[in-house]
Formats: sequence, C-alpha cells, structure tokens
Amino acid sequence: MSTTPTTSRTVSIDVNGTTYERDLPASRLLVHFLRDDLDLTGTHVGCDTGSCGACTVHLDGLAVKSCSVLAVQADGASVRTVEGLAGDSGELTALQQSFKDHHGLQCGYCTPGMLMSATALLERNPHPTEHEVKVALQGNLCRCTGYWNIVEAVVAAGKGGGS
Amino acid sequence: MLLREVEYARPATVEEAIALLSEHEGARALAGGQTLVNVMKARAASPDVLVDLADLDELRQISFSADQSVLEIGAMVTSTELAASSEVEVARPILAEVVSTIADLQVRNRGTVGGNLCVNDPTNHLPPLFVALGATMTIRSTAGERTVAAEDFLLGVYTTAVEEGELLTKVSVPTRKPGTGDAMEGITLGAHGTYVVNAAATVGPDGVRVAIGCVAATPVRATAMEQALAGGDVSEQAVRTAAAGLGASLEPPSDVHASADYRRHLAEVSAVRAVLKAAERAKG
Amino acid sequence: MTAVETEAGTLQKGAAMGQSVPRKEDNRLVQGQGVFVDDVKRHGMGYLHFVRSPYAHAKIGSIDVSSALELPGVYGTLTGDEVAILTDPFFQIAAPPGGHVKDYALAVGKVRYLGEPVVAVVAETRELARDAAELVWVDYEPLAVVVDARRAGDDDAPVLHEEAGGNMSYTGVWEWGDVDAAFAEADHVVTIKELHFDRFNSTPLETDGALVEYNRGTGQWTITTNNQFPGFAAIMMGPAMRVGLDKLRIVTQDIGGGFGNKITSHPQLVTCCLLARKLNRPIQWTEWRTEFHQSMSHGNERWFHDTEVAVKADGTLLGFRSKAIDDAGAYLRYEPLGGVIWAQVAPGMYGWRNLRLEFTQMMTNKAPVSPNRGYSRMQHLWFTERIIDIVAQELGFDPVEIRKKNYVQPEQMPYETPNGCVYDSGDYPRSLDLVLELIGYDRIEERRHDAAARGKLLGFGIGSTLDSGTNNFGQSQLLNPELQFSGNNEVATVKLDIFGEVVVTLGTTPQGQGHETTASQVVADILGCSVDQVHVRAGHDSYWNSNAGFSGTYASQFAVTGLGAAKGAADLLAAEMKLLASMVFQCSPDDIELAEGFARIKGNPEAALPFMALGAIVNANNAGFPVDPPTLNCRYVYRPPFDVPDKERKFGKLTLTYAMQIHGCVLEIDPETGVYEIVDYAAVDDCGVRINPQIVEGQVMGATAHAIGAAIWETFSYDEEGNLLTPNFYDYHVPHALDMPPLKTAAIESPSPFTPLGTKGMGEGGGGGIHCICAAIQDALRAAGKPIVSDSHNPYHRVWELLQHPERSRENVEVRST
Repeated sequence: MSTTPTTSRTVSIDVNGTTYERDLPASRLLVHFLRDDLDLTGTHVGCDTGSCGACTVHLDGLAVKSCSVLAVQADGASVRTVEGLAGDSGELTALQQSFKDHHGLQCGYCTPGMLMSATALLERNPHPTEHEVKVALQGNLCRCTGYWNIVEAVVAAGKGGGS
Repeated sequence: MLLREVEYARPATVEEAIALLSEHEGARALAGGQTLVNVMKARAASPDVLVDLADLDELRQISFSADQSVLEIGAMVTSTELAASSEVEVARPILAEVVSTIADLQVRNRGTVGGNLCVNDPTNHLPPLFVALGATMTIRSTAGERTVAAEDFLLGVYTTAVEEGELLTKVSVPTRKPGTGDAMEGITLGAHGTYVVNAAATVGPDGVRVAIGCVAATPVRATAMEQALAGGDVSEQAVRTAAAGLGASLEPPSDVHASADYRRHLAEVSAVRAVLKAAERAKG
Repeated sequence: MTAVETEAGTLQKGAAMGQSVPRKEDNRLVQGQGVFVDDVKRHGMGYLHFVRSPYAHAKIGSIDVSSALELPGVYGTLTGDEVAILTDPFFQIAAPPGGHVKDYALAVGKVRYLGEPVVAVVAETRELARDAAELVWVDYEPLAVVVDARRAGDDDAPVLHEEAGGNMSYTGVWEWGDVDAAFAEADHVVTIKELHFDRFNSTPLETDGALVEYNRGTGQWTITTNNQFPGFAAIMMGPAMRVGLDKLRIVTQDIGGGFGNKITSHPQLVTCCLLARKLNRPIQWTEWRTEFHQSMSHGNERWFHDTEVAVKADGTLLGFRSKAIDDAGAYLRYEPLGGVIWAQVAPGMYGWRNLRLEFTQMMTNKAPVSPNRGYSRMQHLWFTERIIDIVAQELGFDPVEIRKKNYVQPEQMPYETPNGCVYDSGDYPRSLDLVLELIGYDRIEERRHDAAARGKLLGFGIGSTLDSGTNNFGQSQLLNPELQFSGNNEVATVKLDIFGEVVVTLGTTPQGQGHETTASQVVADILGCSVDQVHVRAGHDSYWNSNAGFSGTYASQFAVTGLGAAKGAADLLAAEMKLLASMVFQCSPDDIELAEGFARIKGNPEAALPFMALGAIVNANNAGFPVDPPTLNCRYVYRPPFDVPDKERKFGKLTLTYAMQIHGCVLEIDPETGVYEIVDYAAVDDCGVRINPQIVEGQVMGATAHAIGAAIWETFSYDEEGNLLTPNFYDYHVPHALDMPPLKTAAIESPSPFTPLGTKGMGEGGGGGIHCICAAIQDALRAAGKPIVSDSHNPYHRVWELLQHPERSRENVEVRST
C-alpha cells in the first residue's frame, strides 16, 4: 500500500527501453541502482553533494543528477543513460561523434554526464547558441578540458542537424 | 554519500500525505530531493520516514486567483516549470528570472518552489524574493488550512512555520500591478552559484520593499531604507542615501567566502542595485 | 612532411606524427564503456569504508570494533595496531630528522590531521560498510593544533612526529653566483616582506580507488587501481609489506583525471592489501569526494619571506634572495621532494645569475601534501613572476619590456642556468609577442578608458611559466645524500602478432592525455603503417613486463619518456622486420623499406611481405631458417641522459626538457564590490615537436581552467582547530562552463635537441594563469592606490580589501635606491 511506509519497495523502472522489476531499499540512490544493480557503469559518481553532474541521466526525458534521486522515486518512470544513446550496432549519435571530432573529452569521466545533459538540450533546442549550451552544461563539472571544446562540440552537433 | 535505512511512502493524495506526516514522528516530506537527499547522504539528518509528494498533482498547479490579483503556485512546481510558465511570465516574471539562476538545469528539473522555501537555507534564492514580493504561504494539516505571510513563514535556519504533520501546499504571489518593477541582485560563488549576499526588491505604487538574504537566519527587511524611499523618489542619489547605514545595522556571519564586514558592504551595494533596477523596470 | 633536427638526428614528421589524429580512446569513453576502478566488480568482494579522525591532532586511546563486527554482513576490520605489527613504516625520502617520521597505512597511536584514516571496515555492501563505520568507537585525547607553517617552528608549537624531534622535514640553503656582489652592484633593491602561494589542488573528477585481490597460493596481490605512479607506489609498498615487488601486480585502465593528485594513495592500497589477505576476499575501496578533499594530495602552500631583488637602473635584474617556508601537511609521502623540484626552474625564465633561496619545509596538522599540477615549480615561477611585476610597478618599468629584456634569449639556447639546469630551447620574446597580438595589447589603454567609463577598473597581466619535464631523480640526493635514486626511465614493448597486428604496451598510466593515440602515431610512422593497424593496450599492467622503477604518468614527461620508449621499441621492431624480410628475400636488410603496411624491396614494390606474413613466420612457421629469425617482440627502456647532480654545489641537470607557456589576461574589476571578470584570455605554448597538436592544445586549455579556479575560487582553507572549511564541491567552488572566459591559443614549436623525437613533456603550464591574473589585478588597481598583490589566491573579498586599504598591502614592499 502506498500509504504504509516501508524500508524497501518493489519498483518497476524502464532503463534504456528495458523494464526492470526489483525489490530495492528506499535508501538506495538511483546512481547506485544503475551502477551496482544493473551493471550500467557508464554513469559515474564524482562527488557527494550533488554538485558535479557526472551522474546525470534522463528521468522521464529530463536531465537529472541520479545521485540526488532515490531509486524508488523512479518507480514507474523511464530512465535513459549513456548506454542508451548509441544505436544497437554501436552507431554513435551525431553528438557523440562531435565530441570525438572536437576533442571534447580527455579522461572521459565527465563525458557520460555531459552527453546526457547535451542530448537533453538538443532534443528540445536543436540549434543552441554557445550561451545556451553553457547554461545546459552548467551542472556538469569537467577538470580536464576547461569546457571550451565540449561547448564547441555541442554547438557543432546542433549546426549539423542534431541527434 | 550513502543513506541510512529509511522508510518510504508515496501517497496518492494530499490528505494521505498529511496523514502520514502526522502519524509518523520524524517523517519528512520529500519533494525534489535536491537538498534533502544530499543532506541524508551526508548523514547530517536522517528522517525515519520519507513521504514522497511526487504523485500529488494538486500541488503542481500554477493558476490565478478568481480576481486575477494573485498567482498561486503549487508547492511541487519545479524551477524548470516555473521558468517556463506563461502565467508567471505575464504575472510576475521576476520569479522565472530568479529560478533560472538556481544552480543548474538538473537541479531545476527536480527542485521545487516548496522545497527551496521550506529548506530555508540562508543562501537560498526564493526566501528573500518571496519576502520582497509580499507572498503568502498556505499550510494544510488535518485541522484545515491556514495562510501565513512570508516573514512569518520563515522562522530560522532550516526552520519554517510548517510544523510536524503539516504540509505547505501553495505559495501565493501578488500579480504585478502596473508601474511595478522587481529585481534581485547579489554576489555568487561563480556564475549561478551559491549566493554570498543577495537583495530582492520591488518598487511600485505601494512603495518599496527590500529583503536581504544571506546575512541572518532569515531574510531581513531593510525597513529603514524602505521608509526613506516612501516619498517616491527612487533616483540614484535618493536610493544611495536611503541605503546608508544598512550594512551597519546587520550582523552577518563570517565564513570562508566572506567576512562579516564584506557581507555588510555587499548587502548595502546589492540593496541599492536591486532597488535601482526595480525602479528602472517600474518605468517600463 | 617536415623535418626536425634533434640531437638524435633528423626526424621526419610522418603521415601520423604531427597530425591531430582522432583519439582511439574516445570510442569507448563516449559510450560509457571506459573501465574506471569503481566499475570493476569481483564476486564476493567486500566494500571498504574508512573511519577517519574528527580531530586535527589527537592521541588515540582505545579502539573498539566489536559493535561493528556484530552487524550482519560486516566481514572484518583493520586497525593501526595491526598495521604496526604487519608492516614496517613507509620509506622516507627526507634525511634525519625529517626522515625519522613514521608513516603507516593507518594511524598508529596518534592522528595528525582531520580525516586521517584510523580504522578500515569491510562489509557486504557499501551502505553496510558505512553503517558499520559508525559503530566503531575510538577514544581520542585531543592535542594542541598547528595549522600555520610559519608557526610550526616556534618553541611552543605542538610537535606532530616526536621521532622527528620537531616539525621540520627539510631545510637547506640554495645559492649560486655571487649574490652579495649583485646586491652591492644594484642601483635599486626592492624588498617584499611576504608572498604567499595558497593551498589547493586539481580535484580530478574521479577520486582514488582500488579493487585488491589476494592469491593465497602464490602470495600475490592484484591491485586494480587508478594510482598514476605505480613505480613509486610499488617501491613504497613492497618494503613496508615485507614482500618483493613481483607480489604486487598493479593494473590500471581508464583513470578519471590525475594531475599529480593520484600519486600518494599507497597507504590506502596497503590497507586494502592487508584486508584482502586477512579476510580472504577481494576488497573494493572508492574514496568519497569529501574524503579526497580532507586527506589527499593538497598542493604545496609556500611563503616567501624577506625577498630582496637587485635591479640595475636600466631594468636588468641581477638576482634575488628569499626565504621560503613550505607547508607539507601532516605526513611526508612524496615530500620533501618539493624542496628541490623548484630548483629545476630556479631563475624562472630570466637570465639573472645570482640567486639565493633558503628553503624550509614544515609539517602541520593539515592534509598531507603531494604533487599537484605544476608541482613545486608553479610556486617558484609564481614567485619570480610576482617579483618581476612588483619590481616593474615600483620602479616604473613596463611589464612587457622588463620581461623581454630579462628573458633568457633564444640565441642563448641551450642555456645553462646558474644551478646547472639546461633550458633546451624556446623563444620567449616571440611567444610573448604572440600573446600580445592575440589579446590585442595595442588596444589595452583604449579598453581601459572604455571600462572606466562603465565604472570598471581594467587590468592586463602576463604570466610566463616553464613546464620542466622528465625528472632526473638524482635531484633527490640534493635533499638527502643517502638516497639511491637517480635518472629516470620508461618502458615500452612493440610486437608483431601472428595476424600482422602491431601490439604496443606502455609503462604509463594515462588519465586523459591520449597515450594510446600518440603512441600509435609514433609507431605507425616508424613501421610504415596506418595508426589503425597499431593497437596500444589501454592502461598499465605491471605483469606485462613493460615497466620499470619510474613508470607512470606524472611530471610532464610522456612525450619524452613514454614516446621515447615507444620509438625505441618500434625502431628495434622495424630493424627486425627488415632483417626477417631480408632473410626471406635473400637480400640485404638495407634493401628493405617499411611502407604502407608492407616490408618490401626498395625500388621493387612487387616484392612485398605484408605484416601478417612476417608475424605468421615468426609465430607459427619458423622452420627452415639457417639462423634464428628475429622474434619481432621488442622491449625498450628509454633512459634520459643524466648524471648525478653535484651535491656540494647543488648543481646539475635536474630535468631534460623545458616546455613553456605564456598566458595573458584582461580583466575588469568592479570597484564597488571587488568582483572581477576575466574578459579576454590568451595562452601560447611551446612544447617542442607536437605529435598530436589537438591533444596538446587540450592540455593547455585544461591547465588554464585549473589556474582560473585556483586564482579566483579554489582554496583548502583551515580554521584554527584544523577543520577544513572547503571539504567538498559545495564550498570548494571549481569553474563551471559559464565561468570560462573567451580563450585564444597559439603554439610554436622549438624542438628539443635532447629528446628522441624533439618533443618536450607538457601539461603542467597552467601556473601561467595564476601569474597573469595576479598581474592583471595589480595592474587594474594601479588606479586605486597601487596595492601589491602578494597572494596567489584572490577571491573577490581579497580584491575588495586591496581596494579598501591599498596602503596596508604597500607596507609589504620597500624600495631602496642608490
């Protein structure tokens, strides 16, 4: 019953098009559900205060920090991670290709989060300006690139016609 | 970074939510979770029960009062929804402008108006803004509903008038009358970062209201400055003169980001800039 | 194709070298298929959580783990008492008395900084380990705390390590030329009482971590980790654990940023090893962000006291003397090497010959220091840039002209510094001119007026910096003559597989620098094939037999050591391939060329063997050769040419190469608040021959971002009790996308005559950003009382203070003219 508090809950969550039914503790963060329960390790943990965005995924189409969402809050929702971007045969999206073309990654740790934030942007704004890209990526920290090439990659993907 | 064991419930109606909050001591409402989940990760607080408000559509509405004089914003409206609302754009665009600078898009997609208000962290964006706008808050409990003015709602650090077993359901903001302008100015840690000091101001036919944030447990009304500007002269000269002494009247904290003296100074500068900008907008 | 002259001969930049070849690493990384340490799982692994000290300085009384052990799902614990029995203290680089510091994997008897690991708890899940840690009871008796290195030498200062007798880890006088004569000859002496380089680091997005497995039968550990200097880690761990280094297999793959901050995780790795053996299960450890901030790799905080600069009337800088106090934090892990590393760039980019620095390093109740991007050279170069700008301001010299006048000039290259280091090549004046051109220097005064009309104070600043690379570890003997370290090395293997695939292994541990890509470029050009035919294994594995004592990725050296090793191994393989082809074709090896993926007879391209044929012969079809054919499996150790430095004179080559960056910025200060904004920024770099220009530029950009963060926001600030006030990303603000200014970059290539490819290591030149921002602030404030910028870290509140009380900062400086 949804009106009786319980320490765990059976949830049904769609991740990258597959529905998973699991019994999860309420204390489990969505990022740990993805990484540890589903072995989807593309989504990363970079901090412990919800500040860095390395854990960014789509929750019902919106970019969110999966470290600041409980897995049980995603019950009945659809989640999309970086593993859900490329096609089944590994065809990269135009955005992923643009990151490669513009050296928009170095160590790759922030990259999944960056791609998810940028993909969400391009889905609602296919041709963003440089400023709009920066606003969309403001919640994703990078310590390797200084952001310049990442912003360029997203703007270029926009000019190229989006994903 | 890991929560302690916690009980979780997801009520379908506001009444169910209030019942849960009343029945379980140590129960907390879970809205967007951008603050609460992170507080629980740090184990700075570990409520026994989380009552998830996600399914309460009643709390997600933005609408006008019958006489159009008040904009009613459901507590579960997210910053993103507020920023995109055509009602807000028409009635009180400062709300959209300010929430668009909260943290980042991911936080705005989840973070709610009610959450930002009820956390009442001294550096939060909405408390000083709602004080300046003269907003009111509606609280529901098993005993019924009551409405509280912003300054009576915000009681202390992390503390509001919402008591155990109660729920904030909506915030009511007066729609902007002709000849009214709003502004919020301040200094942040980096673009769209945490505020170090801020000031929210509204200038209009009813006078000037200024609320300073980050300088005390709750937003501080700059009453001396408001009174000095009651005559209607909001020229730069008049505003600067009216703000003199504002800093000295405050007792802000010192921390790694700013000394008390620097905060006093920034408070005065922010108040002046907010009023001047609001006055400029009032003309347009 | 262009030819580059190096000491090794003429190198042809080929089809791949010199091109911005797309990175091989990217395909897996953009799909989230990188393997970072926390991604690795093992059946039955236990998750480790550390119980850490809440005090900056305290005696440890009793420790009670019984409640934790009672929690179902908890596998076990480890305390300092056990560590003290099972291991010996870590080797210390310092000479006595600093060398008497006892450093173990867990606190033994005392805690010396807030966040120091005290007990390790291992449990079935992360959450359980965290919960169980709260059930561990530790009795502490708090002690007095010292957080200011300037006070750590006082008679009444609390002593961290009784065995060391005091808090000093190292002190020494470094002097060259004739300093007294220089000051006697000077027309002006500028004195600066105190300069301060602040404590921060590069906060790589991925924190430290490891997954450690123990094989009972063989007594061997497999340590999957993201430590970026496995050579150093193994040398520290083996003796402490009383095992040979072959028992420690260190494996890395993808690492989420290092910047030097992932060098000293060996204490935590030892804890994981001991627990893997004790509990007979794999141990998983990932550091939390807050733990990283509290305990890992802070950069050296350094004061320069009583600095005096000797200047001639025409602006020639004759020399300086100063006293440096360096804050090492609570333990010496890589320290006190910081006490000599600065000497690689003792005169900075300038030609003065008379230098004196008294260098003292003190321990304090703060996180242990260890290399941070620019390690120890950044602090010293900031010092030289600061004094140039202060001298220029006080004596009325133009900051551009005084630099150009005093820079080491291109015609002096290779240039031997007063302490025997050799700057290999470079054109500093031309680089500075490029910066000025990019930033629109000729319009600066016009922009200053325009800004003033908008109520803003505009400033322009230059930051010149050297990125010395490829250490001679013999410099450690200048700190401690008993040490047996010198030189440097890196290893690579290149082989031809049975199906013609070229397989390369490196000893390095890349954290985003694109080693798989650049190594494949070098190898492809030497073997005459495409980069797609060259497969470079990801990461590091000490069981590949592809590493030596100094293997790792640190100190701006990959383009020299790593690529030097790859070149060496590829050259060996190329020679063997030609030899084998010549055996097949029955001709001379000199008649064979490697091109387009074939070994063929010159002038007769029909007589060609594809790589697959050569690989097949050696691996599966080797009968019938009258003599043994070559193995086509080549290993090469690159050793840079070094001598042991002269310990008496503290003289000699301490690094092989000197890349250079010059940064320039324009900023506007709001005089009403002290808030400032960088409105224009330019960086010019010269790292010799660039194998992959896009990768090089990416490094320049990243270092610039680190500098901007350090200049404006990033600081590890402590209160009097030793509490860290910026323990996570909430309070320790790092730059986000909207914080970055517009950036223009340019590069020139002054090949190094000393390296196999003419390359120089690079990646750490970002100090230039800190220098130029300080300079620009000081320039902007000339119109507001001429305050002196004496701190590397200038958040808005500090700028505001300079605006309010410029005279206070001016008390720091004095000019005496004769």
